[in-house]
Amino acid sequence: MGAGQDQGGEAFLQKLEAAGYLPCDPAILQPANVFLDLSGEDMRGRLLLASDGAADYCLRPEFTIPVSLAYLASPQAGGPAAFSCHGPVFRQRPALAPEFLQAGLENFGRDDREAADAEILALALEAASESFGDSSKPRRDSGDWRIRVGDAGLLTALLEKLELPPVWLRRIRGGLAKGQKLDVIFQPARDEAADHSGVLAALDGADKAGARALVEDLLKIAGISALGGRTSGEIADRFLEQAELRSGAGLDGAKRALLAAFFAVEGHPDEASARLRRVFATAGLDLASEMDCFDQRLNFLAARGIDLDAIHFSAGFARNLDYYTGFVFEAVEAGAPESAPVVAGGRYDRLLSTLGARSAIPAVGAAIWIERLNPLPGMSQREREQ
Amino acid sequence: MSAFIGAGLVLAVPSKGRLQENANAFFGRAGLTVTQGRGARDYRGALAGVEGVEVAFLSASEIVKNLASGAAHLGVTGEDLVREAQAESRVTLLTPLGFGHANVVVAVPQAWIDVRTMADLEDVASAFRARRGERMRVATKYVNTTRAFFRQKGVTDYHIVESLGATEGAPAAGQAELIVDITSTGATLEANGLKILDDGVILRSQANLVASLGAGWTPQWREVARKILSRIVAEGEARATRELIATLPREPEGFDARLSAFGARLSRRAAEGRITLFAPRAEAPALADWLIGQGAEDVIVRQSDYVFTARNPLYELLIASLPEAVKA
Repeated sequence: MGAGQDQGGEAFLQKLEAAGYLPCDPAILQPANVFLDLSGEDMRGRLLLASDGAADYCLRPEFTIPVSLAYLASPQAGGPAAFSCHGPVFRQRPALAPEFLQAGLENFGRDDREAADAEILALALEAASESFGDSSKPRRDSGDWRIRVGDAGLLTALLEKLELPPVWLRRIRGGLAKGQKLDVIFQPARDEAADHSGVLAALDGADKAGARALVEDLLKIAGISALGGRTSGEIADRFLEQAELRSGAGLDGAKRALLAAFFAVEGHPDEASARLRRVFATAGLDLASEMDCFDQRLNFLAARGIDLDAIHFSAGFARNLDYYTGFVFEAVEAGAPESAPVVAGGRYDRLLSTLGARSAIPAVGAAIWIERLNPLPGMSQREREQ
Repeated sequence: MSAFIGAGLVLAVPSKGRLQENANAFFGRAGLTVTQGRGARDYRGALAGVEGVEVAFLSASEIVKNLASGAAHLGVTGEDLVREAQAESRVTLLTPLGFGHANVVVAVPQAWIDVRTMADLEDVASAFRARRGERMRVATKYVNTTRAFFRQKGVTDYHIVESLGATEGAPAAGQAELIVDITSTGATLEANGLKILDDGVILRSQANLVASLGAGWTPQWREVARKILSRIVAEGEARATRELIATLPREPEGFDARLSAFGARLSRRAAEGRITLFAPRAEAPALADWLIGQGAEDVIVRQSDYVFTARNPLYELLIASLPEAVKA
């Protein structure tokens, strides 16, 4: 890594410290378990693991979990505190060095969520421009970024209000995570060969106890005793769910139309807000407090000097609903709109409880992918995306 | 292993089991008998019939490692292992060998009567996690293959439990909910109460002749490889084709077109209407029958030991695959 980038790191930490973010330097060597437990298999495959024979370690693959653990171990735990960090992180990446620089900022324990959301995005963009940008180019402002935002909290609140059965919730959440189109999500693929239509039709409308008894009988007839970690009740429940999915019950035409109208909302955030309010009003849903938060966040963003014209809201941009719980964002340089995000982050109010906090602690953060900001000459887009 | 380099072109062959027998039989058919050295150094051998070949006897997975690192030039190993080692960019599969057939499959407990496809599995996996707060466990030794396939199928809520043997027993032992493993007939899976998902065949694998792209391919080693590969091609060609000899009173109308319809080619035209043809094995009887119909008194169909031709597709593939840098 060049001296320029290290200097950038110093400048970044100083800037963030002035904004109240304490420099934090979590150990490069982290206990592997927390990363292995929390990460999906895809990320697990990218961890650089080591063992001393007694315990397993990994080189930090990112900053959020190490900084969160440091915060929970600190006297400020539970109260408001903010941290910044800069340095190498480590992931296995095909054809690329496993060590690369990242900067991170995390903000914990603040109940004024919308202000904290705006602060994180504004600071991340400023820092990416000032501390790590090409010093030969003129200073940038938010208009030099293409910013994409979404609201995982609004989507979750909407899904709750619709009182969808779990099978539809799983389909929608999973489909969004995979980037599936809405009509694909709404229309479960039917593989004729794998279709249980007969059984499902028989079960449609059956009660749970009856279905369980049927499944238990079926398994008994087949002489199958090993259930491989699931219970016959779970298998029966899923049969019922599939029957429900097939019949389309639980997601009637009105709900489909509402979701279609919701996910179609994208564009300038102010216009999006107005459209969302209309969609909810038409459906008779009360999401006023969520929408007030939405607007308040926009006000805070504007107050922090972010040009709202540079922001593109997309209702379907929810990133990972397992992890993010509210505002989500990513930003690319305006000159390279197709490249991988330089700044990415969002609100993750559940993580600290998962890591052992006794009460829920609000948290929002961002990562700056420094190498994407200053790509090496000749580096392909694919490499930048790794 | 790099100690091999310099002593000869390194040909890595399986050191035990059915794979070894089959590989030896394959080379034997091509007139290339694998001879194993005696005594303490019997992990090295030679190839009778071609000078300058150092045979290394290794396990199938070691063979992939050596090909990927360039410590071996050529080797016999399964496509499944090449994929799992993520070595596709460092080796070339020259040709499938017709043995060592095995499928890498996703198998779940038979009791999961509601699960027949990967889409079902995806749904069950996310429900499992929602219910228990833990991810479903997949036992396998094909870690990379599993990750790539599950990613492609959109299954994300799972963790891999690495298994080094008797993977099919993992669900019954409570070590995993499902497995990804290799199977040839499926009988072992069935005996362990498992079933293969309808779209859960990740790879239909067989043993391949594999070339390293990173080994030192000097002109000398390329020439040795050319000799080995031309024998293999000639034997394969001989097995796949039949030579037909017949005497026709006169050339039938549209003779060339009929021949190409049979996939046959005219090899020689001698005096008095005597012709020699090469045809695909399966077409030979029908072609012979047709020739009789055209007035031939008799048709002799022969199998040759070798059919050497000017073209050597395996060698051409090897040369085309090699990066310029290693040809020096």
